[in-house]
Amino acid sequence: MNTPVTARTAITGVGWAVAGPDFDPATALAGRGMRHKDRSSRFAVRVAERALDDAGLLGAPELDGAAVVVSSNFASLQTVCDCVTAIAAGGSTDISPMRVPQLSSAFAAAWVALDHGMRGPNLTLCDGASGGLDAVASARDLVLAGRATVALVIGVEPDAPSVARLHGESGGTRWIDGAVGLVVEPVRRAESRSARIRAEIAGYGRARDERSAVRAADATAVRRRLGDEVTARFGRCSGALGVVQCALAVEHMDDEAVLAVAGAGTGEGDGTSVSALVLTPPRRRDT
Amino acid sequence: MSWEIIGMSAVCALGDTVAGIHGALCSGRSGLAPLSAFDTSRYRAEAAYEVPDRARPDVEEPLRATRWLVRVVREALADAGLPEPDPGLPVLVGTTHREMRTAELWWRHEGSLSPADLHFTSALRSAFGLYDVRTVASACAASLYGLGMATDLIALGRADTVVVAGTDSITESSFGGFDRIQFPPPGGIRAFDRSRHGMIMGEGAVAVVVRRAGTRPGRTHGRVRGVSMNCDAAHPTAPDSAGIVRAIQEAHERAAVVPEDIDLVIAHGSGTAQSDLAEAVALGEVFKTVEPGPLVTAIKGGTGHISGGAGLLNLVVALEAIRSRTLPAVGGLTDPIEQAAEVRIVTGRPATGAFATAQVHAVGMGGINAVAIVEGSTP
Repeated sequence: MNTPVTARTAITGVGWAVAGPDFDPATALAGRGMRHKDRSSRFAVRVAERALDDAGLLGAPELDGAAVVVSSNFASLQTVCDCVTAIAAGGSTDISPMRVPQLSSAFAAAWVALDHGMRGPNLTLCDGASGGLDAVASARDLVLAGRATVALVIGVEPDAPSVARLHGESGGTRWIDGAVGLVVEPVRRAESRSARIRAEIAGYGRARDERSAVRAADATAVRRRLGDEVTARFGRCSGALGVVQCALAVEHMDDEAVLAVAGAGTGEGDGTSVSALVLTPPRRRDT
Repeated sequence: MSWEIIGMSAVCALGDTVAGIHGALCSGRSGLAPLSAFDTSRYRAEAAYEVPDRARPDVEEPLRATRWLVRVVREALADAGLPEPDPGLPVLVGTTHREMRTAELWWRHEGSLSPADLHFTSALRSAFGLYDVRTVASACAASLYGLGMATDLIALGRADTVVVAGTDSITESSFGGFDRIQFPPPGGIRAFDRSRHGMIMGEGAVAVVVRRAGTRPGRTHGRVRGVSMNCDAAHPTAPDSAGIVRAIQEAHERAAVVPEDIDLVIAHGSGTAQSDLAEAVALGEVFKTVEPGPLVTAIKGGTGHISGGAGLLNLVVALEAIRSRTLPAVGGLTDPIEQAAEVRIVTGRPATGAFATAQVHAVGMGGINAVAIVEGSTP
């Protein structure tokens, strides 16, 4: 009864908007067009430009039918808290009208779509620590189901007082403040537009524990597993975790498959579920 | 391809069963009532469409959205004959506000919050052992996005049965935010009426169980024929009729139907000036060549805008309307806007008839749209 999916999907672009030598949030998140956006939306629009540029898709006609898939757990939290503080101090009339749209977790994805005319599905996932890998898998399914030409996946978590308090109360000491993006598209499309295929998405699985998730992703034979380097480098990545893992895996891809696991073994799981995803090196083109 | 709906359940201000909510809508009832737990002195609006289930009406409780979600998922699974589901059964939960109400209480030091409270895997795993839960936060199109993703999971061979749900409780921040931008506060939701001036929040949860069609014999509530999901990419907040037209047309293509096949439409109809206008223009455009065209209604005047679950609530009410051959009228509508003149809006009393195919809308902030085409089952 099942019709197994045989079409292949590739990652053709990677972008980073995390504080570092080539990204200074103080300047990159300011300026034209940023005023009415919350911090997560600012990170998201910046990383979208970089990932689409990396994939050679900035301004491309494919974007009209493209999907945006955002994973974030804390995108709207600070706006919610600020509004509650304003109401407690006075009343609803003390809320800035510009903050109202930012109460929606979907705001960042909508801005990215608007910036690049991406009229396909506009999806935001808030799945806890496994959300980033779930977003990559959802992006894969959107293109396989014929709903999108390409899909831009963004993992974003903004730092804010409420985020710091929540991490602090749950034993966290460091956490990411930024966004990471990936471009997902069918291998066939990537080849036809002569895009550089950075990796292929091989398997994905979600389960109640790590071993079952790895089995569900058909990855028991994959030897190279991304360890704790992501959390060691950035601190807790929350909804961005899986996207950061994939971005690092793509950038360090050699001739071996890589397994990313989110929700276990990274100090970030909440014990509810684990996702696993396998990326494989690009295959040599048939000649 | 189509997908059977084999279980359903809903709770909102108007009732806690699908038939009860539909019946209340048909009798013209509204769930709008004075605010119970919020400090009314801090808002200009004085009423909302709350689920009246707090132990003490004036004392707030955390995790209400989670509580309703668990309840409707339990009832929908039981309705589907799956009281003990396979633990790998995927669940897609559409939500606008997640447990932000619980986060608000935590921020004010009136309760606790753990990161796991901000998605719904933890609650559904505790209740049913289900772990493959996706919390879909695509604004107020979220639950129909969940439905679209569910049909894809089945079509791609990743699952045979999927639970789709939506849940939200009213948050102080969003209630206050809309109170800030809507003045004078609307006295009720009057979708497509010239005198409409805004949306009023509601709350509640909805769940359906969808299954690959033809897998097993047995009773069904109807079939999903096709679901579209798109984005206007036109304006950060105001809806664009062109995006809604594209969503409707894509849904028709996916469902392999033509406008003539649609018997009834349950529109998003949130009662705001711009959203109702964009939707009315879109409906006029899509059905302009069809005579007499589908009946069009909207339910938010009765239920309020339950946010993430709104699209799925439209869907279950549509199935009940087909089953009972009774389509509720638009609550509060007496003087339709000019742009709605080209479509057959149901006003006053419910419309009756032998309906088969329904179109339901969800129009979310940020230009995020989803449209589902469903076929009902008649006894």
